[in-house]
Amino acid sequence: MNEAMVRRVHIIQGEYKVIGDPDVVLSTILGSCVAACLRDPVAGVGGMNHFLLPGSGGAMASGGDATRYGVHLMELLINGLLKKGARRDRLEAKVFGGAKTIASFSNVGEQNAAFAMQFLRDEGIQVVGSSTGGEHGRKLEYWPVHGRARQYPLTGAETQRTVALEQRPVRTPPKPVDNAIEFF
Amino acid sequence: MSLAEKIKVLIVDDQVTSRLLLSEALTQLGFKQITSAGDGVQGMKIMTEQPHHLVISDFNMPNMDGIGFLQAVRSNPSTKKAAFIILTAQGDRALVQKAAQLGANNVLAKPFTIEKMKAAIEAVFGALK
Repeated sequence: MNEAMVRRVHIIQGEYKVIGDPDVVLSTILGSCVAACLRDPVAGVGGMNHFLLPGSGGAMASGGDATRYGVHLMELLINGLLKKGARRDRLEAKVFGGAKTIASFSNVGEQNAAFAMQFLRDEGIQVVGSSTGGEHGRKLEYWPVHGRARQYPLTGAETQRTVALEQRPVRTPPKPVDNAIEFF
Repeated sequence: MSLAEKIKVLIVDDQVTSRLLLSEALTQLGFKQITSAGDGVQGMKIMTEQPHHLVISDFNMPNMDGIGFLQAVRSNPSTKKAAFIILTAQGDRALVQKAAQLGANNVLAKPFTIEKMKAAIEAVFGALK
């Protein structure tokens, strides 16, 4: 892997990307948010999402709007991978983020990470690596075709800035992509 | 017995988590007869063995997707009268049009709220309570 040839694609909160190009690295910055990195090593395709459950979600079984939003973002990533030739039974995952930030004294990050891990477990997707929790945010790089991941801890000030940015959006689930779809 | 309690619902989605969330939402709306399947092939097997009044099916699925499943349901004399609501995570207008042409009764965009699910079902069956 020649790093000079690498094309960098940055992902922000609420986004997902699916890539089949071995020279692409996906990057994101995580505070309390979680990034799920999935790939099919046989099909040579992978991707990443980046989410913060609005209102922190709660237990998966509660079936609340926040949980449905998180499930939606996981589903978009999985559907994107399947469309590019991946097979569900070959998917492997790495999970990052979910820091417990000193600023908020909350366990939102922990709940986000727990959501992602439970989702993957329920869907039978093997988790081959993870780095979640802690008190510092992370800068994450993921090579979706190779499956390699690299993270750098953020400083305390960077973590606080990241968390402030994460908290800015309205803490309710976004509307569906095309909310104009109504009844026939 | 409320209308919701009388309606037999079949949920078809390839994601275990989505099936759980759909089932939970339906239970909250008062439905008691809920069956689930992981794709259109399995869904069609259930429908032919034991027809259900309402099918809520995802679009993106392996083996037989939601549109293929809709076509299969509509072309089988024993299942063609079932109400069919298709779920989509993509919000694709072309899909909505195709589903309407093939006889879907409604479309529900993901992520849905309980209120939206209730409205989508009531648009087909009338008030649930």
